[in-house]
Amino acid sequence: MTFRIILLAAFFSAFIGNMHAQSLFENASEATDSNKLAIDFNGYGRGSAYGGSENYNYSSVFAEFGIQGTLSKKKAFLFTDLRFRAGTQFDSLYARFQLKETYVGYQSDKIDIYFGAKIVSWGRMDGFNPTDNITPYDYFFLSADPDDQKLPNMLLQTKWYITPKIDFELVLIPIYRPSIYRYDLFDLGEYTSFTNPTIPEITFNNGSVGTRFNFNLRKAGFSISYFHGFDPYYGFNLYNISWEGFVPSIELTSQPYKKSTVGADFSVPLSSWIIRGEVAYNMTYDYAENMYIPNPCIEYVTGVEHQFWGITTILQYIGQYTLDFTPLNEQPGQGNPNEMIIAELTEFNRKIFNQQQETNHALSLSLTRSFAYEKINIEAMGYYNITSEEWFIRPKLSWDITDHLETSIGGFYSTGPDGSIFSYASKVLNGAFVELRVSF
Amino acid sequence: MKSTTLFILIFTMCHIPVLYSQDAKEISEKSLELTRVDAMEMISTLTIMDAKGNERVRQTTTASKKFGETTKIITKFISPADVKGTGLLVYDHKNQDDDMWIYLPALRKTRRIVSSEKGKSFMGSEFSNADMSAPKLDDYNYKILGETIYEDKNCWQIEATSVNDQVADDLGFSKKVSYVDKAGYFTYKNIFYDFDDEIFKEILLRDYEEIDDGKYMVRQMEAINLQNDRKSVMTIDKLQKGSDLTENSFTPAALEK
Repeated sequence: MTFRIILLAAFFSAFIGNMHAQSLFENASEATDSNKLAIDFNGYGRGSAYGGSENYNYSSVFAEFGIQGTLSKKKAFLFTDLRFRAGTQFDSLYARFQLKETYVGYQSDKIDIYFGAKIVSWGRMDGFNPTDNITPYDYFFLSADPDDQKLPNMLLQTKWYITPKIDFELVLIPIYRPSIYRYDLFDLGEYTSFTNPTIPEITFNNGSVGTRFNFNLRKAGFSISYFHGFDPYYGFNLYNISWEGFVPSIELTSQPYKKSTVGADFSVPLSSWIIRGEVAYNMTYDYAENMYIPNPCIEYVTGVEHQFWGITTILQYIGQYTLDFTPLNEQPGQGNPNEMIIAELTEFNRKIFNQQQETNHALSLSLTRSFAYEKINIEAMGYYNITSEEWFIRPKLSWDITDHLETSIGGFYSTGPDGSIFSYASKVLNGAFVELRVSF
Repeated sequence: MKSTTLFILIFTMCHIPVLYSQDAKEISEKSLELTRVDAMEMISTLTIMDAKGNERVRQTTTASKKFGETTKIITKFISPADVKGTGLLVYDHKNQDDDMWIYLPALRKTRRIVSSEKGKSFMGSEFSNADMSAPKLDDYNYKILGETIYEDKNCWQIEATSVNDQVADDLGFSKKVSYVDKAGYFTYKNIFYDFDDEIFKEILLRDYEEIDDGKYMVRQMEAINLQNDRKSVMTIDKLQKGSDLTENSFTPAALEK
């Protein structure tokens, strides 16, 4: 009872604390009278082409119109990011409406509440965030802008600003949304196919929850977080094996799994350097009996950022230690074809989860430099997995031709040993891209 | 925004004399104090013009408030569309390096940044990041070069030279000469010298407006690059004296709202 009273008191004090007049700063792009409905819209149009892979001349070519708008009245608001896109993706024509984000919210000095389709990004590292188990990605939506791959969840998010230095965040995701990775496009052999994905039933028990305490102190920023629910990054399960004589027909299904993650991250400025780190302890269950569930593991990323001759340089180490690790038998199920297939699929899942070895080591390097008074931006990102010997590089050049017209050009190249995930992916994802964008 | 910037006490403090003797430093300190306000909010426009006269325009909204010994400044870009939502937060400590965070909508994250690039262009303009923040008086040695008449005002010419090479490298110039009005301690012009001791930039400050008892804001600043004929103008469109914002509005989390 006492606890409930404290919660109620905290809730009301959060609202009362915000009953001050709106300011010039807060109303800069809104109505000058905060009692009126304020409308703020902007948008863009773009043409984008990505192609040149071994399997597809045109991996992704589309035209898109997007509009972002906010309707607000005092502290309550509606935000929407709508996109209409038409083009071709991996030889399939499409015209699609996408709700990139649409949510309602209340923002105040002490508490924020958001409800709807929203993207939430956790983690202080650059591109490799083991604490971010919330955001699903469409890894096969290929364009010049990596943000295009982020997908929203239907969620309820609240942030409580306990002090100016400490905030607490709660995210509830009632409906699971998986990432998209099109292994059906990979050449996994003529006997393997993918059937419909296995999606968890929509129940209270199958929802996900994330909580995070975030600290921003003078000497360092850091957070501790907890996540429980289905990982958007799923595994594959064997759906069916059938035989016609000596010819197998193997059907796979994508299958999500539940996990609990305790995470932490930090960012520390040291003179002109910034040191960052992020670690996550992933607890999974029933992994010994289910090939689509990875073993429990500890993921850790650490990195430094510094400017060398005007080049923003971010070097990161990405590591993983797999708990309860058992090596796969190199010649599994000799004489039993079904066991051999299961062993191969188990290995395939281990590749997806970077659990082929007990420890996995990788490095990433990001270089960014602006030229011509920031009209031209050149960036390059490289990744090398020391353990699996897979690597990729992604250079990109952007040119702000005017305030409203921007073009980007670049490419992506990945490769790895035969049978590695990168070797499969390279035939689909490698290529060059170009984009022309007008914003208004 | 690609600038890993210091922002701002925008017009509030981008002058600042420099001195060699104690007198020159005192003059500079008085000039700086004239524009130190405890709290304000404003909407401003940055117009960037290249040598051919092509213009780019950025509009920002800024709030600044002093909490203890630290002035906290939050800035958000409100136009054009491609930089809209970009935010910068600066904790301007009086005698320590600033703390800075940047929010880039494309990353959907607030990131800590460091203040080692004070000499870099601010948002592609002729202003440097250092021009956008309160200078540290102890970064310079000062001396009075003489007196001159500038726009009918009797001014001191005060030279500020970086105390060491590291500071000079960070700031991007070897020295600066400021014209400080003898009557009111207003700085009206700063002349910047490169490392070959050649003038490369001038900043002109116009339209001082009293917003509090003895406290002023500059309504317009113009930076002229004399080596490439580029020019940038910052203008305050709206100004609000004081701020009702609480400290929670000056946090990294507030950048994302």
